[in-house]
Amino acid sequence: MKFLKRHIYIIAGLFLFAACKPEVKTAPLTHGSANFSRFIAVGNSLTAGYADGGLYLDGQLNSYPSIMANQMQSVGGGAFNQPLFTAAQANGSGYLQLTGFNADGTPITTPVTTDLAIRGILPVPGFGNVTLYTKYTGDIENYGVPGIKLLNITYAPYGDLNGYFERLLPNDAPNNTTDYLDFITAKPFTFFSDWLGNNDALLYATSGGAGDVLTDETTFAQLYALSISRLTANGAKGVVATIPDVTSIPYFNTVTVNAILAGVQKLNPAVQGLYINALVSGTTYAPRLATAQDLIVLTFPTSMIGQPVTTPYGQLPYGLTPYTPIDNQYVLDANEVALTQQHVLSFNSTITSIAAANGLAVFDAYTFLDNIKQNGLVIDGLNLNSNYISGGLFSLDGVHLTPRGYAIVANEFIKAINGKYGSNIPLANVASYRGVKFP
Amino acid sequence: MRKLLLLLWLALPVCAFSQGFQVNLEGEKQIGMGHTGTGLATDGASVFFNPGAVAMLPENYVQAGISPLVFQSVFNPSGTDIQYHTANKIAPPFTFYGVWGPKASWWKFGLGIYTPYGGLTDWGNNWQGKYVLESLDLKAIYFQPTISIKLADFVSIGGGFVYNRGSVDLTQAIPLSNSAGQDGQAELKGTGHGYGWNAGIYFKTEANFTVGITHRSGVSTTINNGNAIFSVPASLQSAFPQPNTFSSTIPLPAVNSVGIGFYPTSKWTLALDVNITSWSSYKTLEFDYKTTTPDLQNSISPRDYQDAFTFRAGAQYKSSPRTAWRFGGGFATTAVLDGYVTPEAPDANRMYFTGGFGYMLTKHFDLDASFEYEHLLSRTQTNIQYQLSGTYDTNVYIPGISLSYHW
Repeated sequence: MKFLKRHIYIIAGLFLFAACKPEVKTAPLTHGSANFSRFIAVGNSLTAGYADGGLYLDGQLNSYPSIMANQMQSVGGGAFNQPLFTAAQANGSGYLQLTGFNADGTPITTPVTTDLAIRGILPVPGFGNVTLYTKYTGDIENYGVPGIKLLNITYAPYGDLNGYFERLLPNDAPNNTTDYLDFITAKPFTFFSDWLGNNDALLYATSGGAGDVLTDETTFAQLYALSISRLTANGAKGVVATIPDVTSIPYFNTVTVNAILAGVQKLNPAVQGLYINALVSGTTYAPRLATAQDLIVLTFPTSMIGQPVTTPYGQLPYGLTPYTPIDNQYVLDANEVALTQQHVLSFNSTITSIAAANGLAVFDAYTFLDNIKQNGLVIDGLNLNSNYISGGLFSLDGVHLTPRGYAIVANEFIKAINGKYGSNIPLANVASYRGVKFP
Repeated sequence: MRKLLLLLWLALPVCAFSQGFQVNLEGEKQIGMGHTGTGLATDGASVFFNPGAVAMLPENYVQAGISPLVFQSVFNPSGTDIQYHTANKIAPPFTFYGVWGPKASWWKFGLGIYTPYGGLTDWGNNWQGKYVLESLDLKAIYFQPTISIKLADFVSIGGGFVYNRGSVDLTQAIPLSNSAGQDGQAELKGTGHGYGWNAGIYFKTEANFTVGITHRSGVSTTINNGNAIFSVPASLQSAFPQPNTFSSTIPLPAVNSVGIGFYPTSKWTLALDVNITSWSSYKTLEFDYKTTTPDLQNSISPRDYQDAFTFRAGAQYKSSPRTAWRFGGGFATTAVLDGYVTPEAPDANRMYFTGGFGYMLTKHFDLDASFEYEHLLSRTQTNIQYQLSGTYDTNVYIPGISLSYHW
């Protein structure tokens, strides 16, 4: 009994020590010279939380602006509402899921088609079909609209052409007349993030230079100046981001010319090269042998290679002769890459100079992602890089990010804000956000 | 064509002993006196502190003690106000000593069983460094038969053979999410053994002080056929074959010590100890899996530890023939260079303070209690390998109790 008593004191004593845990003294949190009471996020699919080829609830909940807003809570941040899909329609537009691997190690992706938020398809004469989604009517702080270009922000009928914008607007298409810039500036705000402009180069690139056009550099500069002047009109401070190099994303670096060729040569060693329809100059295209500088899109169905194609010269294998080159839409050839890069650099110099003139913080996403492409990124024991699936940063569409990638981007935005405005918004815990989901 | 390589996905699990795992709890009387004892002949714990002094012990001893240890670390990631704490888990270092020799003989035989290295660190599976470490339970139990010989009235020597049984159980998150978004898990679990020796010499001087010098050899402990358990999403399991085993060798370092005891009055005993722990033998940590894949490779990670010094001082005051009061303290330098600190046992320069109380229950029976508070100085680090960046701060609380029978 005596022994037990002694034991109890020891146990009680241990609990006592447990109470005096060590603490690290940290600097008090401050919002610095910025005011985060209404923070709005302006941008495209990256801002909306688009991932795995679609916009869906899980992606929205892990969007970089929502991660930022969450971290801003401790320095006076206010409510941050996103146009979330409902739980019943959580899969939103639908998205790609990784469902397995082929014997050769290539991934199998399958579209998710249940619990969607699609309310209809609207044919727009002279434009095409617009997919319409279930309307969202609540408050909005995240104004990310997948697909939007800077070029579109003052175009009044744009709400009838983009279903993701349409679902935020009060009217049903085709009756919308509010342009994006008016829409996002209608309600007062104190702080903004702006990551517009990617699609002004990216949509041209992802269509292999065939289905879209690059935004004119002068037009871009004018619209960027206009958007920043409107966003800062009432004294709001903000952070902007540059546009990443298109060649730094797995969409263009996974299915490579050399990899396809190696696969073909395994079956037929006589094959010397792949033919593509490449840009010569202006709008002139001509077939030529592909090189490693020509980028093949992630979605290229490689099984097409070598399939017989009927030509004036008889049945010829697809992609392997100058008469049957790989279609333009699958290839961003070296000249198109250069053209895209030239535009991106021009856009970025516009962004940085206008940001500097307005005293805004800048997250240089171009340099950041380029550096990851070159060197990878190690953080908290995670080895990340720009590779498709295995890299951990990019989602299954090879363009947009995983929640983990978005958390890293959110932290870069936060670092830029803290550096500019003397705040110390705490960084998010990257390890608590997932990468690609595996079956 | 979309070839998938998972290479470099894993920041490979490593288990590293560090200064943080050097458990200085080898006898309650000695803990109370700032863990000094190299230059004293106090009790059966001399088997550990100085085998050379064992032959000078006036009596035979059988004694056992336990020092439940609460290791509390906090980690504050850089750029945040978050504080991650280790779970309150109690590691139980223990000691057992027996010393026997014929009355007034020139020799004594001793046996020690003690836990010089160990650690129980549990950061949980939700903290920022979970891909570096979730939890680690590490134990080394030394079995040491010892012989000690009195060469003359003023000098004795002794030596022992050390058999170490070590065990490790490490868990780490793997950054591969399953369809529910949950991480994969790695667990490395195994036991191993190693051998070593120790030796000491003990002098009694005319000038009423005693001196001890000891060497405890390094004990290279090899774990063979430990279980390497990886649970990852089913579609990736082939990259992490199961069942799998690992092997690794951990060089538990040698320790050289010098100690002095002073006896200013019959009531007072003062002691000083200096130890040099040869952590510089710890250059790399190698880790081999029985079955490797392109995604699961053997690893060699640099450690580049440096030798560490400990300075200790302690005192005992006998307020009555039956009652002893003890206190002491010390300072230890870190073995781990900047950039190599890991959450396993976030090492830093440390200081500690001790107190103790001893009471002779009967003529042959002692009860000793001790308490140690140890503080690892706050250290802000970015680990080179993992890029885990933040500030560590650690407190250790160690109560202890032992019973000795002597005749």
